[in-house]
Amino acid sequence: MYRLLCGWLLLGLTHAVHAQNTEWTAVNLAVTDAVVLPAYARFAASTPPLLAASEQLCAAVTEGNLAAVQQAFGAAFAAWQGVQHLQFGPITYFNWNYRLQFWPDDNGTALRQLDALLVAADPAVLESAAFAQQSVGVQGFPALERLLFADDSLGTLQKQPYHCAVVRAIANNLNDISTAVAARWRDEFRTTVANADERGFFESAEDATIDYLKAVVESVRRVQQQKLAAVLGENRAAARGRRAEAWRSDLSVPALRNNVAALQALLSEGSPALSSVFLPDDLPAIDSAFATLQQDLAATPDSMNAALADEAGYAALQRIHADLDALFELLEAAVKKTDLYLGFNSLDGD
Amino acid sequence: MSIGARSGLDRRSVLLLAALGWAAPARLLADGAAPLRLWSAASDREDRHFLIGFAVQEGALKAFARLPLPERGHHVASAPSRALLVSVARRPGSSLVLVDATTASVTAELRVPADRHLYGHGVFSPDGDWFYTTENAFNEPGDRSGRVVRWRVSGHGASAALTRIDEFPTGGTGPHELLLLPDGDTLVIANGGIRTHPSWDRDILNLDTMQPSLAYVDRHSGRVLEQHFLPAEFHQSSIRHLDANAAGEVVLGMQFEGAAFLTVPLLATHRRGEALRPLLATAELQPRLQQYVGSVRFARDGRHVAATCPRGNLLTVWNTGSGQVVQQLRARDNCGVYATAKGFLYSTGMGKVAELDLGTGALEELADAETLDLLWDNHLCADLPTA
Repeated sequence: MYRLLCGWLLLGLTHAVHAQNTEWTAVNLAVTDAVVLPAYARFAASTPPLLAASEQLCAAVTEGNLAAVQQAFGAAFAAWQGVQHLQFGPITYFNWNYRLQFWPDDNGTALRQLDALLVAADPAVLESAAFAQQSVGVQGFPALERLLFADDSLGTLQKQPYHCAVVRAIANNLNDISTAVAARWRDEFRTTVANADERGFFESAEDATIDYLKAVVESVRRVQQQKLAAVLGENRAAARGRRAEAWRSDLSVPALRNNVAALQALLSEGSPALSSVFLPDDLPAIDSAFATLQQDLAATPDSMNAALADEAGYAALQRIHADLDALFELLEAAVKKTDLYLGFNSLDGD
Repeated sequence: MSIGARSGLDRRSVLLLAALGWAAPARLLADGAAPLRLWSAASDREDRHFLIGFAVQEGALKAFARLPLPERGHHVASAPSRALLVSVARRPGSSLVLVDATTASVTAELRVPADRHLYGHGVFSPDGDWFYTTENAFNEPGDRSGRVVRWRVSGHGASAALTRIDEFPTGGTGPHELLLLPDGDTLVIANGGIRTHPSWDRDILNLDTMQPSLAYVDRHSGRVLEQHFLPAEFHQSSIRHLDANAAGEVVLGMQFEGAAFLTVPLLATHRRGEALRPLLATAELQPRLQQYVGSVRFARDGRHVAATCPRGNLLTVWNTGSGQVVQQLRARDNCGVYATAKGFLYSTGMGKVAELDLGTGALEELADAETLDLLWDNHLCADLPTA
């Protein structure tokens, strides 16, 4: 695309702007159709089984039924990791993003809110519409994980039917939100993206492309800092395993794998792919950085809790951290060579 | 743009400047329609920082000055009677850069003492004899480290100079924008409430206890005349930016440092003697502002206010009478804003400068702004008043 743009600029500004919009629109639509809509569809498809398993659990709290819900939680959490980096569009409506997952939560707000809900034990607030109005912290994955993956989850759920009712309410809420987000993208926001060059929600087609590009570049940094740096600390003795995204279910490493796969897909799948905004010369190094990251992730133990407990595992996580750093540097340098800016005042604090 | 500076250009100064050969006021006298001349801090993609002077003429942006800055700038204050502009470094910077408005060239660079830093804002007294900066006395214990520093202004144009005289407390910590009310004597100060120390970069050191406030201070005695706090539940809404209309009504722009999902006001208005009046957009719009207002400016009608939201990529226009948003506009990374005859001119970190017509809602992008390949910083500031 860069070369095409240079060519167009020679033809004159009016032509360039027109052609540019056409091309940005093609990229936006290809990314939306090939990557984003399917990822949201997978997320929406992952929550009905979780709801069904929750209902079965509440009918009979057995070890087998709990294991089935835990497994369904894992599948839904994995599907969420495939769209977690998309922080624009419908996911921002009604605080849907925070209601699905309020994390990181440095002050433990979500768990305090969950405790308060469990103590009050009011069945009325678990009804679908009422539950959507409850504190953000009780509505999503972190609260559900705490109910399903605590050391004494089985015993507690057996003794406290209200706890199981909360499990069901959260599963139902995740189902409502994932279904609604997927539908809004499919039925409305795809059209918004397709018409981004007609000023409205977006300023231009290029503006929409920047949102996609930001989702890739800034998420690489965010994953590195929030999901690894905060956990790893300065050295293994200073590691803080409970800062990991899903330490109770020990799904933090699978989450990283899903994130990286989703970011790579967002950048390189579809035709024309989002990566066509970069200079062609910059693509091999980026592809190779993704490949290294994928290999190193495959070689990392599935359990982050176990990895943090020994030198080799800790070193493997450090490698992922370094790989993400290298990838971010490459992406940042590649963006700099285009005409696109990802942000200036928006990254500020004044 | 403070009221003080805006009202400061009298006919005598116009004639004086014209006599000195400064072109714009001469045109103003000739046909009453001088091109708008503005200044803004800006950076390039190599992280070099500049002060850019530009005119807005026939729908295009014509830069007339590109002055290198020692560090990132923020706001530019103007003293028409002295043909002087001062660019104030963004926090935690320490430099004040003096610009001769007649030649648009840098004449001096000052530094604040080593135990102080600036917050990007300063304002002149209406007569141009005094200059006031907000500063951080960061080694002071407790939450009273905000200072207003008084500088004596001398000379004119190329010979203008600032002498640091004394200081008084702002009544809080982390002061940011300050301006003069139309009475010419009362400073209104946004105490952001955030304690920082250069040893910890820009980290917030008092997130749980921060107490932002709006303070009115007598610029002669340093006495705090009036101070207002937000309700306790909004104590993490850092008050950063201000503007005042001719009636002395103040608008406040805020940045919320608490949880992202909470619904909190980012804008408030205030009249002396009354309580702060927080404003909320609709339930659909408010979360899209992403808890961050970059700058606020009254329209020339004194009733509408533009609030730029660079994180939400939205420019919002509020009617302060009804408290409602009356226009919203997608504008990626917009931050600087300036009231024009038609409505608002705004600038973005994407390199764009555009004018929104408040009456028609029409938008006109200035030609040639993006070809400068600059990231426009937080504020658009008046050169010397032209209207």
